[in-house]
Parts: sequence; C-alpha cells; structure tokens
Amino acid sequence: MKGVLAYLLTGSLLLLSGCSGLPTAREMEDMALMRTMGVDKAPEGVEVTVSTGPRAKGLQAEGEGSLVLSARETSLSAACLSMQGHSDSYVFYGYVDQLLLGEELARAGIKPVLDYFARDVELGLGAQLWLVRGDTARNAVESGGEAGVDGRLTTLQMDGKLGEASISRTAGEIYSDLMERGAAFAPALATQKREDVSLTEGGYGIIKGERLVGYLEGEAARGLELLAGRAPAEVLTVAQPDNLVSARVNLVHTTADLRFQGLVPEGLELNCRVEMELTEYQTPLDPIQREAVAQELEELLLTRIEQALTQLRQWQADCVGLGLQGAVGHPWKWKQIQGDWPVWFGTLQPEIQLQVTVHE
Amino acid sequence: MAQEKHFDSPHPRKEPRFDQSLSLENLKEIFSGCVDFMERMVYLNGDRERMVTVCYLLGMTRNERLSDYILRPLAQDTDLSRVPEGELFSLLQYGALYNLAAVRRDRLDDVVNDLLLGSCALFFPGRMDVLTLPVPTEEKRSVGEPENEPALKGSRESFVESIRTNTAMVRRRLKAPQLKIKEHIVGRQSRTQVDVLYLEDMADPDTVKQVEDKLADIDIDGLEAAGNLEEYMADTARSPFPLMAYTQRPDRLCQGLLEGRVALFADGIPLGWMVPGTIDQFFKTSQDRAYHWMVASALSLVRYFCALVTVLLPGLYIALVTFHPEAIPPKLALSIVAAKQEVPFSTIFEVLIMLLAFEVIQEAGLRLPGPIGATVSILGGLVVGNAAVEAHIVSPAVLIAVAIAGVAGYTQPSQDFGNALRLWRFLLAILASLGGLFGLSLGCAGLIYHLARLESFGVPYLAPFTTGTRMPRGHPSLFRLPLPAMKWRDGAIQTQNRRNQR
Repeated sequence: MKGVLAYLLTGSLLLLSGCSGLPTAREMEDMALMRTMGVDKAPEGVEVTVSTGPRAKGLQAEGEGSLVLSARETSLSAACLSMQGHSDSYVFYGYVDQLLLGEELARAGIKPVLDYFARDVELGLGAQLWLVRGDTARNAVESGGEAGVDGRLTTLQMDGKLGEASISRTAGEIYSDLMERGAAFAPALATQKREDVSLTEGGYGIIKGERLVGYLEGEAARGLELLAGRAPAEVLTVAQPDNLVSARVNLVHTTADLRFQGLVPEGLELNCRVEMELTEYQTPLDPIQREAVAQELEELLLTRIEQALTQLRQWQADCVGLGLQGAVGHPWKWKQIQGDWPVWFGTLQPEIQLQVTVHE
Repeated sequence: MAQEKHFDSPHPRKEPRFDQSLSLENLKEIFSGCVDFMERMVYLNGDRERMVTVCYLLGMTRNERLSDYILRPLAQDTDLSRVPEGELFSLLQYGALYNLAAVRRDRLDDVVNDLLLGSCALFFPGRMDVLTLPVPTEEKRSVGEPENEPALKGSRESFVESIRTNTAMVRRRLKAPQLKIKEHIVGRQSRTQVDVLYLEDMADPDTVKQVEDKLADIDIDGLEAAGNLEEYMADTARSPFPLMAYTQRPDRLCQGLLEGRVALFADGIPLGWMVPGTIDQFFKTSQDRAYHWMVASALSLVRYFCALVTVLLPGLYIALVTFHPEAIPPKLALSIVAAKQEVPFSTIFEVLIMLLAFEVIQEAGLRLPGPIGATVSILGGLVVGNAAVEAHIVSPAVLIAVAIAGVAGYTQPSQDFGNALRLWRFLLAILASLGGLFGLSLGCAGLIYHLARLESFGVPYLAPFTTGTRMPRGHPSLFRLPLPAMKWRDGAIQTQNRRNQR
C-alpha cells in the first residue's frame, strides 16, 4: 500500500512539475475554428487563405462575421503556422472540410497539398475539394464576405450528394484516384460578382498525374457524369410533333469491358443503361411515341458521352477508371498494360452501347 | 498469567461467555441492572410445597403465550401437584405445558442465550437443570412492497426485519425439502441470527462451505448494518464494486437459489444476499423474467449502455472538448463554443465542479425527509442550474453532459453498483483532464483490470463474459433468451445440476 502511495505521489509531482508527455489542454472557446482553406500559388511558394464561417459570440449575442486569415510562405505548413500569429485565438484547422485550390496552383500540381492534408494531425483527406476556375482560391474564399463561403460550399456538397448539383468529391477520393488511375476529376467553381451567390458550378476539372489539364463543361460535363454512373441534375426536353416532353434521368448504370488480343488491348466496350422518368408532357404518350422520345433522348445522351470521351481521350486521362473496370476479368493482362493505359485509352476507339428506358 | 495474556490479546473471545454453574442466583447476577429481567415464583396447582421460578425478559416474550401456555397450566393443572417430585420435570417438558417447544438446559450460557432470544426459563428448586420454553414476541413490520425494487408485473412482497418471516417467504415459494436453512450466530453482543439458504442438489458444496466458514470467522461486537456482513464476507474490501448481490424481493432471491447460488439472511436486515456475485447480477432486475423476452433484452442492453454512459460521459466530454476537438462534429462544436463563450471557468473545472454539485444535491435530497428532499432537488437541480447557466457560470453543454451521466446512473438496478460507477466516473474524469483520450483509455484499462482481478467465493467477477471458470455459459448475459430456450443454470457458478428444464 505504501508503495502504491509513493508511486501516486511521485506521479502527481511529476505531472504538476510539467514533466509529462501528456497532450496539452486547450479551451474550445479560445479557438478560431477554420472551416474553409484556399491554397494558391505565390511567388514565395504558396498562399494559404482560411475562413471560419459565421461565428457565434455567446448565447445572447449576435453572430460575429467570419474570420479570414491569409499568409504567404514557402510551404503550406509554414503558412499555417504563421497564421497562428495573425489571430488572437488559436487557429484550429481540425474543422477544415472545404478545400479550394486556385487554378494556377492546380496547373502546377496539387500533390503537395494532398500530401500535407494526408499527413497533418489536424487536417484530413475527408475535406471536400473544389477547383477555382480562372481565379485564385483567395478570391473565392473572400467572395463570401461576412457570411463566408462555408455555407455555400456545404450546400453545393449536399446538393451534389443528392444529385441536384455536380458530383462533389473529397480530397481523399481524388488522391486515391490519382494513385490508382493516374487521373481524377474534381468539381470546379467559378467566382461571381453577384450579391445573392458568390460561387457557381463551373464543370469539372480534369487532373492528370498531379496537374490540371483542362475542364469539362456543359454537355461534356454531363457526359462525364454518365460515364461515372451518376444521374445528371438536369431535365431534358424533347420536342415531338404537337407535344413537348420533359424527362429526367433517374438511374445510370455504366459498365466497361476491355477486349484483348493476346496481351494487346483490342477494344473498349461501354454499356450504359439509363432509366428516365417523364416529368411533363402536353398530351399523354402512346408506346410508339414513347419509343420515339426514348430514341431522341438516347441520341442526346450519346452525344454527351462521346463529347466527354473525346476530350478525355485527347488528354489521355481515364479519370473515371474505365480501363480498370474493363480489365477486371483479366487482372494479369491489366498488370502488363497498366503503365501504358493512358496511351491505349487515347488510341482505342470506344464502342458505346446506350440503352435508354423511359418510364411514365 | 495466561488468562491475563488472553485478555490482552486484541478483541479476546471467551467461550462459553458465562461459565458459572447454572443457578437462579447466577442468572440474576448476570442480568443485574437489567430492568427488563423478570422473575416470578409460581405454586404448582396452588401447592405451596411445589414451586417453580419463571424468568424472562420483558418485551422479548409474548405476554399472551406466556400467560396462557405456561403460567395458566402451571397454576391450574392438578397433575402437577400429584406426580412424584422426580417426574415433575419430565411432565412439564413433555406434556403439561402447551408451548410448541420445551428444551432442557444444563449450562448457564445456553439459558442466557435462550432468554435473549425470547424464551422463558423455569427454575426448579434443588435441580441443576432448567426448562426453557420459546415464547418470542412476534412484533414486527408487516410484509410490504419492495420500495427499492418496485414491481409492475409480479409479486409485491418484500423482505422484513424478521429473519423467520423471510425464510418462511422463501419456503412458501420453494416447497422442497432440498431447501436447506442453516443458522449461525454473528456478533458477540448482538448475537444476530444469520441464516444460510441453499438448494442441496444444486448449490456448489464448496461455496456453501466457504460461506459457512466465513460466517464462523466473523468475530465482531454486533451486526447492525448490511456492511457488517458484506465487508467481512467479501474476498476484498479494496473494491468499490459490490461482490454480493442483494435483493428485497423473495421471488428474485428464489430465482438466485434456483440458479444454484447460496443465499444469506441476517435478522434485523430486510434483505437477502446471493453469492457468488458476478457482474451480470447487478444488471438484472426481478422484472426481467416478467416482461416479454424482447422487451427484457432491450431494457437489459439499455442498462449496460447507461452504465457506460454514466461512467464515461463526463470524462469523454472533457477529453473531446479540451484535447481532441477535431473529433466533435462541426455543428456540435460550434454549439459548444457558443455556449462556452463568457463562461469564466475551464471545461475541466466546470465538469468536476458540476459532478461534485450533482453529488451534493443528491446527498441533500436523500438525507432530508421526502417532501423537503424533493424541494431541495428541484431548487438545486432546476432553479440553481438554470440560474447558473443564465449567469454564464456554467455552460449548458456541461450541465447536459453531467445530468445525462447522472440520470443514466439511476438506471442501475443495484444502488451499490451505481455508487461504484459514480466513484469511477470521478476518477476517469480526472484522468481525462490529465491526458485526454489517452488518460481516459488508461483509466478504462485500469477499470477492466480491476474488475478482472475481482473474485466472489472463487468465481471471477467477470465470469459471465469470460471463460475463467471453464464452464459453458449456457445463455447470454447481455440479453435474455425466451425462457423455454434457457435450459441451463448460470454457467458462471459451479452448480451440481446444470439443466433447469426438460
């Protein structure tokens, strides 16, 4: 018993004297909880801009505006550290769940940023990644004004999950795509000068290796969504004789099959099954008319897929993993051609089978 | 010299306590200064040549029985004046008196014990033996409802202070001669009856022997509180966790006996203990078998979950808010930050003080009479709590965390187990204050290590969740199967007959 007491006493004395490897306590109300981080290329290295979003100030007090901090340093970690001195609160990056990358930085390479997010104890790869098209991330972060951009980005993210907006992607998803496929797609945002909304959707940025190679927008962006197996958030309208028919994509199922001649890829076959639902029409459709509508929609969607594929093949960027999916039945053959797949992807002419079913 | 040394030894025991010769004078000397000691000389059938002296302790005997069954026959039975002197003792012992029992005693110590237990003693002039007749009073609290273990669907009987009433309640439910009841006397001054109950062909004989040996080893002045028995019977007193499950309900005690456990009663204490005590016993209620098995299982899981909540929540709150805020969902974090603004104290201080305040309010509510206690709880819990939040002295999040932890503790069927969890809650909160989740994890590991080291009468405390006894468990402990599927007695204890149904 005396021994136990002696150990407890010694332990307490050591702890009280500060000789412990225990973590340091920090009160949450003394922290600035950063929600959004923007990273840009700068002459010194990188420019990091962080924003808290609207902050609460006590139960009875009015909400406080968002805190925006910015720092230019040679590295991301140095910039994050230097921002600690810019605020009277402890700048806490553990809640950063929106990551904006400026176009210049994206074209220079995003891997260092993703590496830092993967390694840092506070940050994580669960943050949503957005590319800022034609502008800097700093401008995008600051475009939110007092309210910050966090709310807008969260809305876009949730809409994306519900199929009401572009596909939202986390830094981790993009990082793993880059490692597995050598290419990835990321949603792009465009800064606006409008008062009601600061950021709007700007298609998808295609990243190859670690650099941004270009954007898919409009029809091609919708085609990319079909290739990725996601229903585009869009209502398609088809003009029929004496009838205007609107339909919405409910379900998309895309599969790829890679044919080999020996160890050489011979062809890439894409099967895309799309189920659509009529949302509006002026007069009810009979089966023949419905078939005609389906055919017209099929042509429309086929054009989109072809546009997306043409652009992707031109960049040799299989960002949706068609090759990996197509070779799933031939793993050892895939291993042989995996390194050269981007070249094969640009060379092979895909055969697209599209089947559209229209439901009442 | 040897005698002096004997009395110098710590708490010397003298056996027999009264070694004088058996005589009325010696008895009167022993009870001198006792105002309740009564003696009365009675002429047998009015014969002045034949008389006996009746001794008893007023209040310990029932006056009507003493008058009707003993004094009236002594005074009116004509045979008592006719039989030869030598046969008089036998006549009284075997027939003339209407009392249920009559015992011949030839040692003063036994006579003193009998008087203390409510007998009267008949002294015959010139004889060296005495007839004692048990006429104890039956004044006792009537059987009421179990206040600590209320029943919505089941028996409403509760144990009382009279040990014989308690054993009778058990006997009425288990009408089997295999139910053995053995009596021990504990306490030099209190001479408290302690009964050991078990089913002969089910209970482990080793456990019964251990219980009886431990009872025999108890050498104390008096057994006045439950702790007097529990702390002497338990294998270790260093754990706050109870090692003997107790109940106020006869049906639950009978269920324990049917599982092969050994039960204990002490006179004057209105509850029964069941040993060996394993951790699952403290999560069970008597209602578990009354409800539908799905409902009972769900409630059992809720109780286990609440045990985790009550012991971990304050520590977890401190660890997350102070050391690992990144683990809190962002919206919850913003709410906590908003609530914490303008509060002058640190989270650690807030939680520890609120835990202490919770205990203070609970203790104050318990110590005061019912209506005042309720008022204190309302004033302390609602009014002061609300005012403290309004004045930004404590944050509502801390108040909610501490209150949830406190209320979750009340779901524990065993008050003793709940109290142990309360102590560990403080310890884990302090460890979390020192090292965050690391400290909390270290505390949890310590708690598991502590529980794993405990044993109750040779059975591991965590036996239902371990394979320490090398016996098949039979049925799960976290939830209850339908009763027809529970064909085995509790695997944690060494029963002689494992199967409990066809």
